[in-house]
Amino acid sequence: MLESPDATDLLNTAREALLQKLLPALPAHLHYEARMAASAIAIATRAIAADAAHAKAQLQAFAGDAATFAARIRAGEFAPGTPLHAQASALLEEMVRLRCAVSAPRALR
Amino acid sequence: MDEARRAALNTWLSSQAGAAIEITAASLLSGGAIQQNWAISVTRDGSPEEWVLRTDNAAVLAVSLPRTAEYALLSAAFAEGVTVPEPLFCCADTGVIGAPFFVMRRVGGIAAGHRLAKAAAAQGGDAPLVHALGRELARIHRIRPPRADLAFLGEPDADAGTAFIAAMRTRLDAAGTPRPAVEWGLAALERNRPPPLPPVLCHNDFRTGNLMVEQHAVTAVLDWEFAAWGDPHADLGWLCAPCWRFGNPTLEAGGLGPRDALLEGYGPAADPARLPFWELAASIRWAVIAADQGARHLSGQDRGLELALTAHIIPELELDILRQAEALDA
Repeated sequence: MLESPDATDLLNTAREALLQKLLPALPAHLHYEARMAASAIAIATRAIAADAAHAKAQLQAFAGDAATFAARIRAGEFAPGTPLHAQASALLEEMVRLRCAVSAPRALR
Repeated sequence: MDEARRAALNTWLSSQAGAAIEITAASLLSGGAIQQNWAISVTRDGSPEEWVLRTDNAAVLAVSLPRTAEYALLSAAFAEGVTVPEPLFCCADTGVIGAPFFVMRRVGGIAAGHRLAKAAAAQGGDAPLVHALGRELARIHRIRPPRADLAFLGEPDADAGTAFIAAMRTRLDAAGTPRPAVEWGLAALERNRPPPLPPVLCHNDFRTGNLMVEQHAVTAVLDWEFAAWGDPHADLGWLCAPCWRFGNPTLEAGGLGPRDALLEGYGPAADPARLPFWELAASIRWAVIAADQGARHLSGQDRGLELALTAHIIPELELDILRQAEALDA
């Protein structure tokens, strides 16, 4: 129903124009802002591609929602040596890796 | 700085200095999300001097100390031999330039974290610089309560580690976004609390971006607005946390040099066994600060790219938190 190029293509194209054509023409004091704009576009592009379905399903099955999970961790559940520690740890790892894949993919290398 | 303000400032500074002070140039320095820093050139009875005037920005973090308090801290640090710019005058009266401010002597050097870390990495780490940073921290930590001149800091907590955990939970609750990974780190801290130490003055933002350095030597420790009584290892841990290494993960002390050199410079009071707790605390604290900064953008209070992108640092910090929590529990 929607026209192409799609959102990802448009964002990538806009980012390329920003970095390759606009940035070199900008005065130095605006370079930081322009680079931040390019970063924001890159994060948004990765957010569109991210598939949170599996992590969400895992979270729901294990703890219901993030607020409940957080509250149970604070209450001292899932400490090392408890039966659910490994499962809670694996779920957090999956959630954080997904979040990094969007916000900071270099951290996963 | 307009003419009226400059004239008012000339009058006030002259009365404080007991000499004729005239501002000959003033320019806004870059940096400082919370404050404005002005480089001002003056003549004192005709002789030129270079100063910095520091005052508040419109958007002030609720948790940071006011300028008058920062001036008292700077004075205490200067008296203890910490490398800070010489504090000159402090004005609590908003009638002079519209906000409280203080004036200090200007020092040379750059306070650009990335550039410092890049230069240190190019030579495989700068152990002498990091050693000097250890000595600076040890001098700061010689300032201990009770101190009438620092009464605004309040009473120290009996146990800085326990107080830290409670404070972070309060801030997470106030922010309202559930953060299971940060909670995971706090739970690990709670299980591994080191026994409390007598409180000292902690700078609480002693990292590469807040150090003025010139040719491998520290010329100034900046940004005292988060200082508080606490565990000295909180400052060591903050500097050594993975998030402040500027892409030099093996240079554990601020991305500048080896942790051993930092601790050696600090002296025997540094207990390496307490560092993993405070390095994890550092990752958690930065995540909580970043969340608050992101919230300022989201709420519409202070919209802009810098605050918006700061929120996106959190996932990487969470990855650090998971690693550090696992190591702390091991």
